Amino acid sequence: MKKKYCMVIDSSVCIDCKACMVSCKVQHNVPRGRWRNWIKHTEPDFSMGKHTFVHFQPGGCMQCDEPSCVYACPSGATFKDEETGIVHVNEDLCIGCGNCITACPYGARYRHPVKRVPDKCDFCSDRLSRGLLPACVDTCPTKARTFGDMNDPDSDVSRLLRDRETVRVVSKPVDTKPNMFYLAETMPADWPGSVEYPAAHQAMTGFVNPLVKIAVGISGLGVAAMFLKQLFTGDETSGNDKEEV
Amino acid sequence: MKPPGMTRRRFNMSDKMIHRHDKGSIFIHWFNAFCWIFLTLTGLGLISNERINPVGGWWPNLMRTIFGSGETLLTFHIYVGLTWAAVILIYILVRFRDSLGFLKEVFTLSPARDTVWMIKRNVQLTLGNKALKKMGMTTDIPPQGFYNAGQKVFAQLTVFAGLILVVTGIIMYLSTIILNNPTPAAWSRTIHYLMAGIGFAGMLVHIYMAAISRDERPAFKSMFSGMVPEDYAKHHHELWYKEVKDKS
Amino acid sequence: MKDKMPPLSRRKFLKTSLAAAAISTGAGSPLVKSLVPRAHASGGRPQAPISSHFTVCDMCFNRCGMIARVQNGVITKIDPNPGFLKSRGMLCARGNAATKHIYDPDRLKYPLRRTGKRGEGKWERISWDEALDYTAEKLLEIGEKYTRCGVMFIPGSDMQSQFVNRFAEVFGSFNITSHETLCLLSKNRAYLDTLGEVPYPDVYYSKYIIIAGANPFEAIITPDTMDFFEARKNGCKIIVLDPRFTKTAALADEWYQIKPGTDMAFFLALCHVIVKEELFEAEGCCPIRTYGFDEFFLHIQKYTPEWAEKECGIPAEDIIRIAREITAAAPAAMVYPGRRTSDYEDSTQIRRAMAITNALLNNFDKPGGLLAIREVGVKTPYYDVPWYDDNPFDRVEAGMVPGLIDHEGSFQLMRDAIISGEPYPIKGWFNFKTNFMQTAANRNKTLEMIDHLEFIVNIDIAMTDTAWYSDVVLPGASFLERKDPVSALQGSSACACAVMRDPVVPEMFESRSPFWICQQLAKRMGLGDSFDFTLDEYRKQQVDGLDGALEAMKMMGVYYNPSRTYDIYAGSPLKTLTGVKEIYNQRYARAGVDPMPVYKRPKQPSENEFRLVVGRTAFFTHSNTNNELLTEFMEENTLNMHPEPAARMGLKDGDLVEVKSRAGQGRLRLELTQGIEKQTVYMATGFGALSPGMSLVHNKGASISEVLEDYYDEISGNMAMHETLVTVRKVA
Repeated sequence: MKKKYCMVIDSSVCIDCKACMVSCKVQHNVPRGRWRNWIKHTEPDFSMGKHTFVHFQPGGCMQCDEPSCVYACPSGATFKDEETGIVHVNEDLCIGCGNCITACPYGARYRHPVKRVPDKCDFCSDRLSRGLLPACVDTCPTKARTFGDMNDPDSDVSRLLRDRETVRVVSKPVDTKPNMFYLAETMPADWPGSVEYPAAHQAMTGFVNPLVKIAVGISGLGVAAMFLKQLFTGDETSGNDKEEV
Repeated sequence: MKPPGMTRRRFNMSDKMIHRHDKGSIFIHWFNAFCWIFLTLTGLGLISNERINPVGGWWPNLMRTIFGSGETLLTFHIYVGLTWAAVILIYILVRFRDSLGFLKEVFTLSPARDTVWMIKRNVQLTLGNKALKKMGMTTDIPPQGFYNAGQKVFAQLTVFAGLILVVTGIIMYLSTIILNNPTPAAWSRTIHYLMAGIGFAGMLVHIYMAAISRDERPAFKSMFSGMVPEDYAKHHHELWYKEVKDKS
Repeated sequence: MKDKMPPLSRRKFLKTSLAAAAISTGAGSPLVKSLVPRAHASGGRPQAPISSHFTVCDMCFNRCGMIARVQNGVITKIDPNPGFLKSRGMLCARGNAATKHIYDPDRLKYPLRRTGKRGEGKWERISWDEALDYTAEKLLEIGEKYTRCGVMFIPGSDMQSQFVNRFAEVFGSFNITSHETLCLLSKNRAYLDTLGEVPYPDVYYSKYIIIAGANPFEAIITPDTMDFFEARKNGCKIIVLDPRFTKTAALADEWYQIKPGTDMAFFLALCHVIVKEELFEAEGCCPIRTYGFDEFFLHIQKYTPEWAEKECGIPAEDIIRIAREITAAAPAAMVYPGRRTSDYEDSTQIRRAMAITNALLNNFDKPGGLLAIREVGVKTPYYDVPWYDDNPFDRVEAGMVPGLIDHEGSFQLMRDAIISGEPYPIKGWFNFKTNFMQTAANRNKTLEMIDHLEFIVNIDIAMTDTAWYSDVVLPGASFLERKDPVSALQGSSACACAVMRDPVVPEMFESRSPFWICQQLAKRMGLGDSFDFTLDEYRKQQVDGLDGALEAMKMMGVYYNPSRTYDIYAGSPLKTLTGVKEIYNQRYARAGVDPMPVYKRPKQPSENEFRLVVGRTAFFTHSNTNNELLTEFMEENTLNMHPEPAARMGLKDGDLVEVKSRAGQGRLRLELTQGIEKQTVYMATGFGALSPGMSLVHNKGASISEVLEDYYDEISGNMAMHETLVTVRKVA
């Protein structure tokens, strides 16, 4: 049966200790200034006095079901693996156009300064194949992150999804169907940007593609007409034709 | 004498032949053709995003099956593309005067004559002389030079598109190697696809004209033999024929 | 005009083309591969084989179990040991960053001897033999001229510190002190003098916890930090008292922005309510289980909640409510003892108030309360300590305060003694893995102390500020390269365990462990007999009687002793003078110290002054900031200030300010936050390094040690870091 990996996060126990961020960075040699994952936080309202609080929210690539990043990639260099649900980047196919980076409303991708291709969380696929949990999940002191296969009814994530109320942090207005679930009280919830396709991509889909289709269509029609004419009525030449004497 | 415009001519091999293309031109034409076709087919296969590929997902999948993987497909596309550009460049440098001559020929259009030619021939070939007459035009076509207006326009298109394809192709190739800004690669891909698509549209007409149209059969044969029948030259490329005759 | 050419047949054409294609493809395959960008290793590339090794972390004192992954001889990743109960199978940011600790480009590589003036930074590389010979010679020289107590030893807080301790003792010096005297000694003192031992909180099973002046969600303590959240899931309520809105405060159920230094008022008032409303557990509190209840009853009459509100700023009704709530939850309730208590001059007394509150809750040796030390079973091998006739009677700061802790003393008092030369001179300093130049208050005084010393030898992994001022610098091996003896750890109700280390990778450059260094020095100083053993032999002695301990540590990375967790005393008397919990401490009375805590209002900053406080983050450990992975979270420290006083002084967020005290000044950027009491400012530790060898924090921000004035707790001599009042002015 196909796997569908996801994360269920209890952000109420996150203490913003940065362990998950460092663990991921070391595991994947993420360059300085870039991150594959993050911890967002609310701004405290001190007028609440003794009930003033801050809520921390760990996150990372949500391995969406309708990933706008995949839709933005014409060459299929980024794709969602049907066997696992993980969205991967095939660096050999990537030409570094950057469409996918802008198309992600969560800012989950960054352009690798040396490799010049996008880099993102892949749920530590390499560790999974070694039987280990993703680095961020493994290291978390308060075990805020739970990871597992949603398609397996006995997994921790399935049980949490069944027993607890969960929400997803969605971009508006396009819901990319993220696979990162938060136990109900997560904050902030309104931080994702909108799905933005860069100008070059919009030119390709909105202008070039229809133009090419039309041009080939007209050309093809013309060729077909010529062929049919030739087939049924024979050649016709110009009036300057000199007959063979 | 038969009435004009109603005669079907067939050009026999026993007709007197005049030389039209030399071995170099023939080679570069077929080399060019092979590359363009290969690159178009593989290029189309590289747009593996179903939502964007004009023919859907089946073609990229077929290409990947044939070549083994997307990376190999891209590898071949790049290899052939770079080889093509290199060979063309070398050819131009080695046969510099001829290349300049070629460019001069295809970029010389006389608007009045060639516009008429384009319109009349287009109608003639698709709808027939009857339709042409119905539109109020005569069936006599303006004389053409070494290349007719249609061939010239197509040549201009391939030169122009080819140049842009090479430049955008190299930008995409170098993007992950030395470029620090992703925008050139993004726009290059859009423009590369545009040029390839328009080029393909033109190619359909060119291939029809060359390989299927009976009227142009001698031209097709000349891309192997280098020779065209004299009558054909007189009829289809009157101005060039006159030049050749004047020289000899 | 070209000649007529023979026609090119189609067959010939095809043959030629195919041949050309075949040749070019075949010949070009390697060329093909090299043309296409394959510099990026995508997931499909095969990885070098990975070997996994158990060890325990040294990035802070918690000693979390870890598994180091090694590829091609390089540690590429460090993962938590999932079976390590004390850490609940986790690893924090610092543990993860240990790869940049061992592979720090600033690491010391070989022994160095100073050639220029101290602090000038002129060094010559010397061989180990030279370094050891020279060090032994100098130490013996000082021992001759000034007695063996003429050398101050700082053993570090390390799994090999016991060897430095041994070396110090067989050398003959009593003057062994440590970083702990900048940290938790006042808390230890308070609990020793109330419960007879230093307890470990059982956070996991607790139902009500007051955290005062501690920040466990940032200053990670295992398993406490994690257990708070499990406890809360089981209904535990967490109250935080802190002038700063720390992350602990941010995640608490209630946070009170208490006026700094007034915690005692709160707790005395809390006790007032508990006693007055008879909320204490009668059976546990009076008169059988405590000593001095009646005296206390009279003592706290004046400490009403209304009075406390005026002192600490917490509303009286909240104090009353908390008193009722916490006693309802007792005995599975506690005042969290915390760890670092180096804050005020009456720090011990403040913790006494907390300890007494805990006594009233009757939570000692019970689930959810404060636990007694659990038996681990690791032994300390015996060694002979030679007697030196000419040695002074006691350590140099003996008697300066009534409550010095054995083998710890007080660095601050020792420093004063070195400067004054009284009661006797100390002229040498043997330092391991401690950085007083960055962590001890009043850096100028530390420099003054250094001026009085004839010889300073320093073992460390990087050129810290303290190493920068030393005479001989010896490169220490990182914990990932070391073989260490067994250490016992108290894991609260999670476990009682023993750990040890075996090298994950060989010692890098010429670095060596302190054990080897002490052994080599001992040989040269005629003390070789005290170090005549291997670590394997030593370990065997340590675990004598613990079946399977060594095997367990090798196979699982840890040995668990399933010893008793609760009711360890089972009716036996406590280790106090009276055998019961002491609310009234007779020894204090005899020493002329308040036998029960008496509230003293802390000095108030004047209108243009602020109280400077210090604290911790989850990603740095004290001055161990020179780590490339961790400085990404804070590249330089800033001065936290409330926007209101800043506005009054015309200061804006991001301004470069000078913070000045009577001890010194520092320059750093201002960061405004509402999350700090209005007359308090805060700055993080470990910045403004003088040593260029701490390249990431050299001249970045400011050092707390430069600005803090030196105060000490009047009972234990523990450093008091929150007494300094500073002025702040804009520089740029």
